Amino acid sequence: MSSQSVTSGRAKAAGPSVGEVLERFELQKAWLVDPVSGREGTGEIVVTDGILESVVWLEGEEAKGVDDKGVIVAPGFFDLHAHFREPGFEDAETVATGSAAAAHGGYTTVALMPNTSPTLDEPGVLERIRSAARAGGSPVEVLAFGAVSAGRAGEQLSAMGELADAGVIGYSDDGAPVRSPKLLRSALLYAGMLGLPVVDHAEDLELTAAAEANEGYVASVLGLAGWPAAAEVNAVSRDLAVLADARRDEPHARLHLTHLSTAASLDLVRRAKAVGLPVTCDVTPHHLALTDEWIAGARRWSWEALSAEGSSRDPWADGALTAWPYNTSLRVNPPLRTPVDAAACLAALLDGTASAVVTDHAPHTVVDKKVEFGAASNGISGIETALGLLLALVDAGRLPLARAIAALTTGPASILAAWPAVAATPAARKRGLTEGAAADLVVFDRADRWAVTEESLRSRGKNSPLIGRELSGRVLLTIAGGRLAYEDPEVGDG
Amino acid sequence: MSVKTEAGAAHAAGSAPTQEVVWHHRHLLDVDVLTWPEIELIMRTTDEMKGILARPIRKVPALNGRRVTTLFYEASTRTRVSFETAARNLSADVVSVSTATSSVTKGESLVDTIRTLEALGAEILVMRHSVSGAPYLAAEIFGGHVLNGGDGWHAHPTQALLDLYTMRQHLPGGDLRGRKVAIVGDILHSRVARSNVWSLTAAGADLWLCGPATLLRGMDRWATAWSGGSVPGHGRFHVTSDVDAAVRDADVVMALRIQRERMQGGLLPSLREYAARFGLNTERVSLAKPEAIVMHPGPMNEGVEISPDVATSGRAVITEQVANGVAVRMALLYLLAGAHEAAGEHEVGHEVGHAHEGPHAPEATR
Amino acid sequence: MTDRQIMTGDEIRRAIVRISHEIVEKQAGTQGLALVGIQRRGVPLARRIADAIEEHEGVRLPVGALDITFYRDDLSLVAQQPIVKGTDLPFDLNGTTVVLVDDVLYTGRTIRAAMDALIDFGRPRAIRLAVLIDRGHRELPIRADHVGKNVPTSREEIVKVHVEEVDGREEVSIGRQLRAGEAASADQA
Repeated sequence: MSSQSVTSGRAKAAGPSVGEVLERFELQKAWLVDPVSGREGTGEIVVTDGILESVVWLEGEEAKGVDDKGVIVAPGFFDLHAHFREPGFEDAETVATGSAAAAHGGYTTVALMPNTSPTLDEPGVLERIRSAARAGGSPVEVLAFGAVSAGRAGEQLSAMGELADAGVIGYSDDGAPVRSPKLLRSALLYAGMLGLPVVDHAEDLELTAAAEANEGYVASVLGLAGWPAAAEVNAVSRDLAVLADARRDEPHARLHLTHLSTAASLDLVRRAKAVGLPVTCDVTPHHLALTDEWIAGARRWSWEALSAEGSSRDPWADGALTAWPYNTSLRVNPPLRTPVDAAACLAALLDGTASAVVTDHAPHTVVDKKVEFGAASNGISGIETALGLLLALVDAGRLPLARAIAALTTGPASILAAWPAVAATPAARKRGLTEGAAADLVVFDRADRWAVTEESLRSRGKNSPLIGRELSGRVLLTIAGGRLAYEDPEVGDG
Repeated sequence: MSVKTEAGAAHAAGSAPTQEVVWHHRHLLDVDVLTWPEIELIMRTTDEMKGILARPIRKVPALNGRRVTTLFYEASTRTRVSFETAARNLSADVVSVSTATSSVTKGESLVDTIRTLEALGAEILVMRHSVSGAPYLAAEIFGGHVLNGGDGWHAHPTQALLDLYTMRQHLPGGDLRGRKVAIVGDILHSRVARSNVWSLTAAGADLWLCGPATLLRGMDRWATAWSGGSVPGHGRFHVTSDVDAAVRDADVVMALRIQRERMQGGLLPSLREYAARFGLNTERVSLAKPEAIVMHPGPMNEGVEISPDVATSGRAVITEQVANGVAVRMALLYLLAGAHEAAGEHEVGHEVGHAHEGPHAPEATR
Repeated sequence: MTDRQIMTGDEIRRAIVRISHEIVEKQAGTQGLALVGIQRRGVPLARRIADAIEEHEGVRLPVGALDITFYRDDLSLVAQQPIVKGTDLPFDLNGTTVVLVDDVLYTGRTIRAAMDALIDFGRPRAIRLAVLIDRGHRELPIRADHVGKNVPTSREEIVKVHVEEVDGREEVSIGRQLRAGEAASADQA
């Protein structure tokens, strides 16, 4: 444990290596957050033989001296959208390195997107991923989405039934949208029949052809081809209309819109939910905390770039530019938007329009990123920095700690709970601090900051715009399914 | 035959021009990082360079033995030759790399190309690239000086500076304050327009950007953001598709090239229509002040954005722009070459030594 | 750090007069002569020499100014003094005997640059050198034809020439470090 630890408790790790069952682990006097019961407070936990044997909430005198600014225990995080690049792009990431990165970020369950090579459009590829997970030895639970269309080509449906039997948790062509409305409708019907959702990456490809950065003031000044908000709004609008149609034929049709980034599209989802459409959505940490002004060289958080009236500030006027412009680790799909959009993402998270935060972890090799901005691949390697970014929002008073934890745990779990075929599976379990269940938790120290560097990132993807920065919430321990997933090198005294 | 430079004449008359500015930029990637005193320093240095160009021997040994390498990813004979001439006039060694014939066509990355050129002795890299922001990547990894010869739609600092120099030659007192400058053309895709926004607003000019709505997209947002005069050192500017309003009573009218590709992209119905509605013909130009000058960064599509009679009229200063271009580029090569030893590693937002040194103290000299 | 005065205004004046006589003597007259002052302080000195010659010979020699900024062999000075006070040569160089005039002769590099510059403008018949102060420490084989005063110095010292036209006073002094931005004979070379 680092010497700056605020808590008066001690942690005793049993000394296992990654993948081994935790024989005994006790944590005294830490701040516990249980998003299932909604309870937060000082407490103690004991893990025995991989089971969370006891969760004791302390009251009165015993609880003194500990607050929510130090060591915190929460259920292990669940990432509903990540890319581990295996098979096909192992230079960027493998299931093993991705799992290690996930555990470093406090994640115990990750759902992978199917844009691998070959595409995850038939059970054989899923089996390859599963055996890679087994061989890697990490206890992080790996789930997967199958492709909507064969080869993600947008023409024919993939082997959806076989994939369902093999255990995918849904279907997506992510990386790309489901190209045609007709195919989307078929997918919603067929998947609904199977009790699984379609997860769409909403993007109107015609409007985003050759686009580089969010269409707006920053792109205008930097001479970057604009990526209009309309491209997302258009696609969301289309998707919702198709969903409304499809569910008349198949009541179990479910749509999940992932990584929404604009105020307008979030508003469409808000209204759709209000009239009862079975749609859910999520937002990413980078769309909450970063904005397009970072491309111009600003390095302030999205809320710091908001004026008192709630409009986006001008980084050139504010003298906010402190770094090189055109940093390609900021090139992502959907692009970083304006501070106003980032605020809308937060508002959606707070009012429940967005049920979860997902990382869209997208590692890339140096070859794909250390090029001209317009030529760089899209994606941010974000699974290890998600907690830090959410804690920045918490530190700024913009997001309560409990909501942040919920967005990473019960939020994604609740989305799964709405998908009939998955609702009863272990993947959709509630994710709280439940006595008697296999230990699935993360211990992090909010008072301890860590430096994001190429060395400290476990992912092969070093394409993070946060390199060179310090984030709060150093993860000390991650336990997945009763087994050790990650331990901070300075922790553990046997 | 006698020789006299402007500064020389002033000095001979006994008045000493004051120079408070110290040049500290290691690269010149865009005019947005330049303060007005720095721009004036460039103007004065250009005056001297013009003096050299007027001599029988148009050469000085200032950059003797220094290697200037031009790396052009976009074909451009005129700009490249202008830079090479400027470098040779300063006695520098010049190496030209144009990617059509280099290993770039075999897929070599920009990073590798620059590292190779550096290993081959490149000291000053003059770069032109079709992707916005490319010179910033170059500057991150290159140990010498990078001079941006144009990147994508983003910036063309030497063009903006030679445009400014040319305008000052023709306006009384060399003062642009309050003078109306109209730039007409494909603003959206124009790095010339963008760099001119920075330099002309710093000069205090009344700048009007004009073109068809499809080619102005997004610029209005920029103009609105600056409408309150919010960015220190830069005034507001106007964006309009009303060409008569833009050109009326202007002191300077500049036409930008319209490319054929814009029609394919669905942005323009036809070049003929553009010429009729926006082209600088005699009638339209007569709306400007009688003594107004007509400019064009070249190469021209005569008959499209500018009519042949306007291009060859007495008001057109296009060939002067070309000559001034060599002088401005000489001035910049000279200033950059001399800056290295004195340059601090951390200046304004765009001047960081090397990427791994991380961000530095926020400071804008605008 | 107090400076030590080594020439007063009167001493400067007398040195100029003596130099002006020497120049004419060496040329055996004023025919074919021109004076070119090296920027910055060489220029007023050249003018004064011309004044003195006019007084005792009744002939006004042509006077020019030469800026050697672009001929220096040391570009690191660019940052401190990027430019340029200008070149003005209002006479035909070809076949003329040019007397270069500078305030301080030190390493000789300024004079080398001045000769390179001059030759780019034409082909003088001969080039001579007149300086107010010769402080030694030559790094190139250059010598002055006419010297106002020889002053042995150490390398840590700085010779500062102040003239009315530029500095508002007349004196030559020796000091230690040159402070950043100080306008004295920083181009001592």
